[in-house]
Amino acid sequence: MSILTDLRIAAVGDIHLGEDVRGHYRRSLAGIEDRADVFLIAGDLTRHGTLQEGKLVAAELRGLPIPTVAVLGNHDYHSDLEQEIADELRDAGVIVLDDDGVVIQAGGRKLGVVGGKGFGGGFAGKCASEFGEREIKNFVSHTRSIAEAWQAALKEIEADHRVVLSHYSPIKETLEGEPHEIYPFLGSYLLAEAVDTAGADLILHGHAHKGSEKGMTPGGIRVRNVALPVLGRAYAVYCLTCADA
Amino acid sequence: MEAPQYVAARVQQALAEDGRTHELGIRVDIRGDQLFLRGQVSGPEQRERLGLVAHEAAPELHVHNEINVVEATEPGEDEHLD
Repeated sequence: MSILTDLRIAAVGDIHLGEDVRGHYRRSLAGIEDRADVFLIAGDLTRHGTLQEGKLVAAELRGLPIPTVAVLGNHDYHSDLEQEIADELRDAGVIVLDDDGVVIQAGGRKLGVVGGKGFGGGFAGKCASEFGEREIKNFVSHTRSIAEAWQAALKEIEADHRVVLSHYSPIKETLEGEPHEIYPFLGSYLLAEAVDTAGADLILHGHAHKGSEKGMTPGGIRVRNVALPVLGRAYAVYCLTCADA
Repeated sequence: MEAPQYVAARVQQALAEDGRTHELGIRVDIRGDQLFLRGQVSGPEQRERLGLVAHEAAPELHVHNEINVVEATEPGEDEHLD
């Protein structure tokens, strides 16, 4: 007889913390251990990517009672201090992914999380390609190399469930609400294609503040835009059902 | 006289690039001599800074700061993905 249990994933992105809201977000995380087994953060933790903001975010997330995994977002890169910000977060106990993966024990299950910032380029049929000026080729090849790294990491990971954590979006559906003209700067189908090829249970992303929460890849993997302004709440909780034999 | 579309673009660029704000998702609309800011930010001080930077970028216009502050409220209902 099989028993159904849930692996509960709390997720949010684009918390954009600054000095003026110090302490506020941490208060909203009270009791998260009763609601979820793991906490995933989909980038844009800061506003300007300064070290001061990185330290502030690290202080807000330090010592959370459940495993916490984060990727950085474009705002966290703005001051060219992304490595230093990631180090601050790691010192505070946060696992920071940079186009790689990790397996964590969550709710009695092994959860594989793969991801990184991601990048743009647009969506199938309406996207940039590696052609022409060096700048365009660099733009597209950056996304392509990220997608390849995620695909390789997903294939390597052995876990009961696999979740992809990104800042940029892999699909258009969760961008609905944003102006169509800026879609190429909000995500890339190459990310979805890589995950569809390797397989995963769920993709979480942020970045698109005016987008929509729910979507699906062409391969049928559920996608959730967890940007704080989209959720309108401190975090969402997604439950993956596990059948215990 | 500069076309309002170019003024709005300049203000939007200032909101994204000014070191005090770096806010990308703010909508800027201009009607006559009135400038409207709309969008969502994480705190009231950021909203005030955006109003200030918009005013500095287009001092001849009257700024209406209609930006909302998103509060991180209780997490709400779980979603079961089965």
